[in-house]
Amino acid sequence: MRVSPRQFWRRQPRLLRIIVTRIALIVPQMFGVTLIAFLLIRLLPGDPARLILGNFATDESIALYHQKLGLDKDVWTQFAIYLGNVLHGDLGTSPFTSKPILDDLADRAPATLELILFAVICTVGIGVTIAVTSVVKKGSAFDWGARAYGFAAGALPDFWVALLLVFFLYYMLGWAPAPFGRVDMMLTPPPTVTGFLTIDSLLAGDFEAFRSSAGRLILPILTITIVNAGAVTKMTQTVFAEIWAAPFVEQMRACGVPERQIIRAALRNSLPPIISVSSFILGFLLGAAVLVETIFSWGGLGQYAVQAVINSDYAALQGFVLVASAFILVVYSIADILYEVVDPRIRT
Amino acid sequence: MSQSSEAPIVELDGLSVGFGDKTVIDGVDLQLRPREIFGVVGETGAGKSVLARAIIGLLPTGGRVLAGQVRYRGQPVSTMGPEDARAFRGGKVALIGTNAKALLDPVARVGDQIARVVRSHERLDKRAATARAVALMREIGINDPERRARAYPHELSGGMAQRIVIAMALAGNPDVLLADDATLGLDATVQAQVLESLVERSRERGLSVLLVTHDLGIVRHYCDRVAVMKAGRLVEVGDVEPFLAAPANPYSRELLDAARARPTLQRPLAEDDRPPLVSVRDLTMHFAVPGSVEPIRAVDGVSFSIAAGETLALVGESGSGKTTAGQCLMRLLDNTDGRIIFNGRDITDLRENAFRPLRRNMQMVFQEPYVALNPRWRVRDLLAEPMALIEPMTSAERARRVAELLEAVHLPTALAEARPHELTAGEQKRVGVARALATKPSFIVFDEPTTALDIRVRAQIIDLIRGLQSQMNLAALFITHDLNSVRSLAHRVAVMHLGKIVEQGSTEAIFERAEHPYTRKLLAAELPVDCEPLPPGDIAA
Repeated sequence: MRVSPRQFWRRQPRLLRIIVTRIALIVPQMFGVTLIAFLLIRLLPGDPARLILGNFATDESIALYHQKLGLDKDVWTQFAIYLGNVLHGDLGTSPFTSKPILDDLADRAPATLELILFAVICTVGIGVTIAVTSVVKKGSAFDWGARAYGFAAGALPDFWVALLLVFFLYYMLGWAPAPFGRVDMMLTPPPTVTGFLTIDSLLAGDFEAFRSSAGRLILPILTITIVNAGAVTKMTQTVFAEIWAAPFVEQMRACGVPERQIIRAALRNSLPPIISVSSFILGFLLGAAVLVETIFSWGGLGQYAVQAVINSDYAALQGFVLVASAFILVVYSIADILYEVVDPRIRT
Repeated sequence: MSQSSEAPIVELDGLSVGFGDKTVIDGVDLQLRPREIFGVVGETGAGKSVLARAIIGLLPTGGRVLAGQVRYRGQPVSTMGPEDARAFRGGKVALIGTNAKALLDPVARVGDQIARVVRSHERLDKRAATARAVALMREIGINDPERRARAYPHELSGGMAQRIVIAMALAGNPDVLLADDATLGLDATVQAQVLESLVERSRERGLSVLLVTHDLGIVRHYCDRVAVMKAGRLVEVGDVEPFLAAPANPYSRELLDAARARPTLQRPLAEDDRPPLVSVRDLTMHFAVPGSVEPIRAVDGVSFSIAAGETLALVGESGSGKTTAGQCLMRLLDNTDGRIIFNGRDITDLRENAFRPLRRNMQMVFQEPYVALNPRWRVRDLLAEPMALIEPMTSAERARRVAELLEAVHLPTALAEARPHELTAGEQKRVGVARALATKPSFIVFDEPTTALDIRVRAQIIDLIRGLQSQMNLAALFITHDLNSVRSLAHRVAVMHLGKIVEQGSTEAIFERAEHPYTRKLLAAELPVDCEPLPPGDIAA
């Protein structure tokens, strides 16, 4: 019997079908993101040639420069050229750092990624733990404290929390290292493998560098966690409380299943919204961590983007938007895949 | 079947349970003996479920024991420590609840869920526990248990899910089972199968069973002793045989009479030459299934007709396509194929705006009235809404019509100010009927009007529908799996199975001389309170 492509597809394992579908979607999505990044920059006022050549440039030199940048061609031709360049890994050169933008971004991205990845792990871990404990021990002092925290956390400004932490933990008590960069300046950073200093130093067997880089992470991660775990707590509380009252939880209890296993099963049922909120926070922090990066002299992407805005460095800004969108797209795709994996009721 | 010489396994001693200042269980004394099946019957709200929950020490939130105690083999349950109490639940006494689909973890495979309970009571590795789960599933009558064990709850039918819950209850090797209306809402045939395997397993394993139900037919077929519960008290306790022969308590007698009432069969209407009011030819409704080339044939070439003032009953198990057929008839679903003719007019392809004026003549009473009624509206607004759609009225007129409608369904006028959640299930059904009557239709589809109602309430609803029909000369399509109500309501019966009508005829012909094997199977699944056939005189009456 001949197998139609459709039947062949249905017979593949569910996980494979989910992943292939989602990855196939990334291509058109990435194309759309590139188009929007391109058009957005075109919408900004000001002529880049005049900006670079200055006010005293002659019309001739500006026309020449337009030709050099391809600005004399129609907008779709320009987009085609831009798309071609992007595909070859060429995002242009920043007139301010005189380095290829891709190199600039590749220098700074690992710093931000290391910070926000570890921060999101802590945020979700702590937020979910607080939420689950407060629901299970409903009405206890802990529950009231958790609610007060969930209520207040959204209103805490991150730079303020960061400054308080620096003041108390570094200046007053001396427990935390100084807020100056990712690793002690007296140490040689480990050779770059992943770009994450903690991981690279471990790979290089350089424990001093590891201690220093891990120590430097503590305060910024603590700041981000304190500010953002409240949102995770509130959301998880709502979802988990509803599931905690569901008949199947009562049934497990009636069957004598130990409480810890019941919590695990209920948490498993609450995962989809937790995945959504985690991916959202991760995408959001890419740009939003800029104040924390500034306070701790982190040298990350957010700082780079702010600098590009101040300098009217459109090429650098465009590069940042593109890389940030690609990152968010990847994060959301992973979240979508996980979402379908944890809920067998979603048809694929 | 008296084993009074043996010590009881579970003993309730003057147990009282309250919620807030309301006493739900009021001084109940009860002894559950080894290997006996003990029925507790009563109507909704009598406190039966709370009783079962009190025995395993898991009262719903807000409930607390006011007085008395529960003893398991002499030890008071309330004195157990947390770990002992956990091992007691499921390990000594297990609970089987209503609505099995909600009792299963939606994101875990059912085999793993059973294995989870096994491992809570016994030190076993994962593989051994899974093997035990599969064995339990086979024991409880599940075909191909290895494959089923890997299914998720949403992939199972209601009856299958109920079997899984029973397997979960048996997983800890308890010696007492508490079955709390375990088969409520299942089809008669499935209910009989599930109860049969439950009782069989219990007898084999020598378990004691507390069977909580509102169905005296179940008590008669499976129980050794029975207790009648009313408003938190046991009004009568005794062996089943003498109880059924001569109940001592007036309330028990009332329940039993309601259950025994074998209504007189409805006669077919006199033949006449007028064209039928509703006529359906080759009605077909296919649903496309995502990911599959084959559609689901929910309704597959169904034909029937209903004359003015006539009632046709459409009976069959859930999933047979009865409700889908009714919804196509009302044009709530767009049928794939076939014609629907109402009052001489083909309404199959009418556009919604052309069909709307006809809707006042054909109405539907939905299966779950509470879901179908807007919870924020008062009864008066719920009833006035359909009237407002057909003609403008002054508020005085509207109030008068609402009062008329309430009277027609025998509800007190004071209920006009109530909201749906303040009504009992029976009252909600009545409001649903009144709402359908508001536009004075000539044809009504009743979708399962008597399911999940207590026996006495069910009888009242049937009386109501019957009265309304003869007063208003209503034609009706009566969709149900409750055969008892079909007897008294329907002039003709159509039996539906897997989307097709397998047999159609007068009510008498179907009940007395069924030809199709499926019809016979359906009739055999009823659990009557009395086993002897009715004397022929009764049927003809």
